[in-house]
Amino acid sequence: MSILEVKGLQKVYASRFGGNKVEALKNVSFSVEAGEYVAIMGESGSGKTTLLNILAALDKPTAGTVILDGKNLKEVRESAIAAFRRDNLGFVFQDFNLLDTFTLEDNIYLPLVLTGKSYQEMRERLMPIAEKLGISALLKKYPYEVSGGQKQRAAVARAMITNPKLILADEPTGALDSRSTDELLQQFAEVNRMGQTILMVTHSVKAASVSSRVLFIKDGEVFHQIYRGSDTDEQLYQKISDTLTLLATGGMKQ
Amino acid sequence: MKIGFYPRLAADGIRKNKRMFTPFILTCAGMVMMFYIIMYLAVSSVLDSLIGAETLRQMFALGSWVIAVFAAIFLFYTNSFLIRRRKKEFGLYNMLGMGKRNIARILFWETLITAVVSISLGLVGGIAFSKFAELGMVNTMHGEVTYDLSVSGVAVVRCLQVFGVIFFLLLLNSIRQVRFSSAISLLRSENAGEKPPKGNWLFGILGIALLAGAYYLAATIENPVAALFVFFAAVVMVIVGTYLAMISGSVLFCRMLQKKKSYYYKPNHFVSVSSMVYRMKRNGAGLASICILATMVLVIMASTACLYFGERDVIESRYPRDINLEFRFDELSDFADERTQILKNGVMAELEARNVTPQNAYYYRSANLYGVIRDDVVEVNSVFISEAEAINSSYLFYFVPLADYNEVMGTHETLDEGEALLYSYRTDFNTDRITFRGGESFQIKKKIDAFTGSGDTAMDMLSSLMLVIPDLETGLQQIDNIAVYEGSKLLQMKWICNLDTELTPEEQITLYHDLTNTFLNDSVKETLGYVGVYTSSQEFEQDDFYGLFGSLFYLGMILSFVFLLATVLIIYYKQISEGYEDQARFAIMQKVGMTKREIRKSINSQLLTVFFFPLILAAIHMCFAFPIVRKLLLMFNLNNVILFAATTGISLLIFAVFYTIVYRLTSNAYYKIVSDAREEKG
Repeated sequence: MSILEVKGLQKVYASRFGGNKVEALKNVSFSVEAGEYVAIMGESGSGKTTLLNILAALDKPTAGTVILDGKNLKEVRESAIAAFRRDNLGFVFQDFNLLDTFTLEDNIYLPLVLTGKSYQEMRERLMPIAEKLGISALLKKYPYEVSGGQKQRAAVARAMITNPKLILADEPTGALDSRSTDELLQQFAEVNRMGQTILMVTHSVKAASVSSRVLFIKDGEVFHQIYRGSDTDEQLYQKISDTLTLLATGGMKQ
Repeated sequence: MKIGFYPRLAADGIRKNKRMFTPFILTCAGMVMMFYIIMYLAVSSVLDSLIGAETLRQMFALGSWVIAVFAAIFLFYTNSFLIRRRKKEFGLYNMLGMGKRNIARILFWETLITAVVSISLGLVGGIAFSKFAELGMVNTMHGEVTYDLSVSGVAVVRCLQVFGVIFFLLLLNSIRQVRFSSAISLLRSENAGEKPPKGNWLFGILGIALLAGAYYLAATIENPVAALFVFFAAVVMVIVGTYLAMISGSVLFCRMLQKKKSYYYKPNHFVSVSSMVYRMKRNGAGLASICILATMVLVIMASTACLYFGERDVIESRYPRDINLEFRFDELSDFADERTQILKNGVMAELEARNVTPQNAYYYRSANLYGVIRDDVVEVNSVFISEAEAINSSYLFYFVPLADYNEVMGTHETLDEGEALLYSYRTDFNTDRITFRGGESFQIKKKIDAFTGSGDTAMDMLSSLMLVIPDLETGLQQIDNIAVYEGSKLLQMKWICNLDTELTPEEQITLYHDLTNTFLNDSVKETLGYVGVYTSSQEFEQDDFYGLFGSLFYLGMILSFVFLLATVLIIYYKQISEGYEDQARFAIMQKVGMTKREIRKSINSQLLTVFFFPLILAAIHMCFAFPIVRKLLLMFNLNNVILFAATTGISLLIFAVFYTIVYRLTSNAYYKIVSDAREEKG
């Protein structure tokens, strides 16, 4: 069953005075099945972030449709969008986006508090997640007191705690050192094995190589995709590298 | 090129942080303006024609120091927002190779520019405001009285001095903060939340102790005029105490809310409580500032309004009837009934000759003198007494014969020899027997609680005791004999005659002048048998009172207005600066799924949580200021507690409504700032 369906997505940015038009997305179509772990790769400026913003309902497409779990995003009313996002999507950002005013624990609770869950229930949900992500001991600390990797794990916990249909991750390893990156990717893979659908935008080959499918975007279009099949992470890594080389040298598109 | 570098960098910094600096400069200018106006009133000639000008002047002079202390504390508070924002920038400069010394130079220029701009703005505002106030002054005065309000050099110089020092201290504080932190901690400082102050308990206890001390002083000061310095010390204690108590109180309160899980983890409390904890100290300081200004507004508004609306009261207690006559004698024998009768007939004849029929008239004989109660005995000829005695145990004693009392009051009291009825005015003096040293002694038969007295009691600041005794002529001989100072008698003897007429105000004034001239005539004095006379007319005196109370009322309104303006600035500043701080946070929360409605709700929740604190504390302050202000009002003969309570209540209400409106409006500004923050990310 496909949880996310994207059809013919187009996004055109007009500059402020309507002069130059930039086509960030030309024609993007793909779908994500439940339980999949999809990585979207592309160079800077290829439209990755635009795509993610549209999927997150933070931005509106110029044309095309996004259907999340059978629901067309276009049909969700403006006033209900925030609540829709909160209930169906989990976010992990490159720069963590944790709030300095909250402890890590409260940061993780934020989306649940907004839906009006009791403290008891939130705590019960948090404990196994915190255990799995290895942040149980850090819950009472504030974001400015912990390392980047720890912050990102708290952000992952925040994304997971609502049991979202889909986790959207935007360069989650972008601001992390290599050790934290490895840990985080392992945790992502594990979360995915438990059935969580993940869509990750990245330009790190390493991050992409733990996913089950990699989509390549170039010039606003889905250019190519690689299924993991029975490959190991290393084999997938190699395939991705090769594809990127081709993309960079521009040898294929004729 | 090199000379202009730092100033230019500083000016650039201010321009780029316009949205932080504009409210800051505005609040500074507001403080300068407030200080200028108070200082101006203290030194200008505006007060000259008012009764008690010296006292008022002294109050304004001391008041200006109170404002200076307040301004210093408050500007430190506002400046802390600014430093926090700027630290990041300075961290970056530091990283790019600029030394702390260079940053200090930028800071110096920045402070200089801010100081110059805000002090000039404030002075211009203050001068313009005092000019503008002049127009209204004449209006309230019921005519004629005019004051020229102009620029006061002394006030300007004092403004420059005080705010020069404050800005210098602000600069030192900023430099200190930059100096003692590394580039990295500067860069990150904006993210870190406030730690609760070390020894929060200590500050809290100190604050409460200061408040308690100030309250104690307020409750025990007997004469606020004599103890003006103590009074203002109490005011400063209240200010400092309020800050300390509010800051540690709000830290404690926020912690408590956060600990209470069922409250904290609610959609509308979650965000607001956490951001209050995040800036708990500044939050407390902001609330304390509001509270202090609220108290100032309340005291001033309530007392001057009370004076203004009570002026009828004052005039009537001071001048009981349309025409009031007081004839003086020298000898106790002049109190003989037949002597009084001659006088009365003479007065009636004069009235009749002018076709005046007396209405509501009453007449009585009275003898009075000052006495100090020492060891339960009244000393009547001690001229030298200490100030404490003057305030606490001296009284004006009145003696009225029983016959006159019964006639005036329409009662049928009886007294035996050596007995007396006691009426105490402005005092709750209570005793069974009053003995005069070397004189008569009176057994108090009972206490009475009313007498239509002459204006004397009302005019005198001392408390007075009235004794109704069987007969003046025979009952006071010993006292009369001993109450002598350097050959002159201390016992004042008089016959009082107060009456209403049916005349128009103009006719009353004509009659008043006419009667005064007649009774001052020596041959009339001789015929009727008195040595001196004092005449007064309600209509004639009332203009003066309107002038006096009108101008006091006006002063009060101006001051209240200035303080209200400062309150608006504080609230505005609080909302705007917090708004910009919270902008990024609300952007994140919107990404995570917070709706605009929820933002609204959480703003309202914050509002309701802390909104009433300053009001409640201001009301408590007001309760303790109440006795002092009452005593000050007594100076003006106003003894109407109910009216004062009413004006206090109404002032509180007006302030609360005003405060609510301002809070609502500014919280809209806050909402706009935080909800528009859909920060665009690449």
